[in-house]
Amino acid sequence: MSLKMFEKPLGMRDTFPVIYEKIETVRQTGRKFLRARGYDFIETPSLEYFDTVGKASAIYDASLFKLVDSQGNTLVLRPDMTTPIARVATSKLLKEKIPLRLAYFANVFRAQQTEGGRPAEFGQMGIEVIGDSTVFADAEVIITAIHLIQSFGIESFKITIGHAGVLNCILKDYTESDEQASTLRKLLVDRNYVGFEEAVETFHLPKTKSDALLQFINEATTFASIEEIEKYVRKNDALEYMQQLIELIKAADLSQYVALDFTLSSHMNYYTGMLFEVFAEGSGFELGNGGRYDGLLHHFGSEVGATGFGIRIDRLLEVLPSKETEDETVAVIFNELEYMKALQIANNLREEGKRVTLQSKNGLINEEAFTKQFGQVVYVSQEDLA
Amino acid sequence: MSELTIAMPKGRIFEEAYQMLIDVGFNLPEEVEMSRKLMIEIPEEKIRFILAKPTDVPVYVEHGVADIGIAGKDTLLEQKRNVHELLDLKISQCYIASAGLPNTTMNEIAPRIATKYPNIAMNYYKEIGEQVEIIELNGSIELAPMIGLADRIVDIVSTGRTLKENGLVEYEHITDVSSRLIANPVSYRMKSARIQELVTRLKKFVN
Repeated sequence: MSLKMFEKPLGMRDTFPVIYEKIETVRQTGRKFLRARGYDFIETPSLEYFDTVGKASAIYDASLFKLVDSQGNTLVLRPDMTTPIARVATSKLLKEKIPLRLAYFANVFRAQQTEGGRPAEFGQMGIEVIGDSTVFADAEVIITAIHLIQSFGIESFKITIGHAGVLNCILKDYTESDEQASTLRKLLVDRNYVGFEEAVETFHLPKTKSDALLQFINEATTFASIEEIEKYVRKNDALEYMQQLIELIKAADLSQYVALDFTLSSHMNYYTGMLFEVFAEGSGFELGNGGRYDGLLHHFGSEVGATGFGIRIDRLLEVLPSKETEDETVAVIFNELEYMKALQIANNLREEGKRVTLQSKNGLINEEAFTKQFGQVVYVSQEDLA
Repeated sequence: MSELTIAMPKGRIFEEAYQMLIDVGFNLPEEVEMSRKLMIEIPEEKIRFILAKPTDVPVYVEHGVADIGIAGKDTLLEQKRNVHELLDLKISQCYIASAGLPNTTMNEIAPRIATKYPNIAMNYYKEIGEQVEIIELNGSIELAPMIGLADRIVDIVSTGRTLKENGLVEYEHITDVSSRLIANPVSYRMKSARIQELVTRLKKFVN
């Protein structure tokens, strides 16, 4: 093989002890928190059929890691957890208990095209509420997301909420064809507001319509309250739904973490209802996202509603307040003849709750460098016996 | 008021954009000493400028070390970074075009295209269904057709003088280019008020 010995595939990372411990703390905090709210954790396989999960996933096809099994089927490394959970839920679990509240902490895989250093495998933690189409399920998801982030000690963060139904209604009402509406939607997916304005001008719409669209794009990310969107939208279910959702968040006294963004849009058309993004100070990248994806369940042949969110662990680690949780570490260094005694000492110390490393003196090459890593060093030698 | 970090392209665009900020009422020193400095602090406005190579501006913004930045549409199209495009500042307006020696047709099998913008060029020729071979160059693109390296070049054209001086003619107009105000998605949320205020002021000025 011509590859260098230490080379890893593009985007793959080793997790060293310090980071491993941080991730483990996140896992434990999150697990405890979500279980206390009635969510059951679930694990699905790393590999799935491309036809089942790969195609249905919201992740772009070019980001999928694909491989072929011995029967010639195309497989994918799971690019997200929502799709596998929707598969499991519709095939099996839904018959048992509805609505389902499921949680996960798992690694997902997305091939990187841009820069070598970005992770192609990363942890994700999230929840899915399956089988509940009410606004209360969406409110629960958003409130859980806020509380979960708070449980990690993060205070400076924002959740921006939009609704696919409201946006579609606006785009439909103020354009003259489906093609125009979908052009504008695509520009919003890319967050190209300049492109949006340019496109509106090239459509040669009646002045009232184009003015409305231009004014909408100006304001849509800065609405201070839900009432401000009303002038753009006919009275419809989506709007009423959002009004209720905002009320529920207000009732939970969490309004200060929430902002409205009616330009929020996904390239996947199965995001049918409300959708949201999570941002936190300290990272330049989105922390996570979520939304209602009834369409995905329909894709798997079920007519129930589903909603959820996921946050990226690698980005969470970036914004996590640093906490020094030093364990008490002890090295017990022994001479060969004193092995029995060293075992005894080590065990006693471990029972006191200390992290004890048992190391033979003859096995050490640089004793000074080794012992420096420990809070305390105990020598078990002949002299001690005397 | 939170501090705002703005990534600016070094050189001519910096001066134009800086003047624009003064024109919309920001309290900035008229003269900035920017010979070798890479960072300029303006404590009165709680603004910090970082001066970057123009094609690097979207990198700083995407990673969030700069909240907003000023970048050419050419760079944005070429790099496809995850940033919000907020405003067309309408400065340094020009366009991307294909050019070549006069009265030449392209090689029938796979014409060679020399360019600084391999992605833009590839997308353009893909769209019109032309099979081409892209050759990436970093400068003096006009040399390529003259010396026989490529059939066409895809490059930025502002006045057309460089093309003319090198005996090249323009063939296809690909896309218009100007400087854009871009924002990091997280900053756009976390510093929403400041960024919106800036956008509103600039927008009024630009239009």
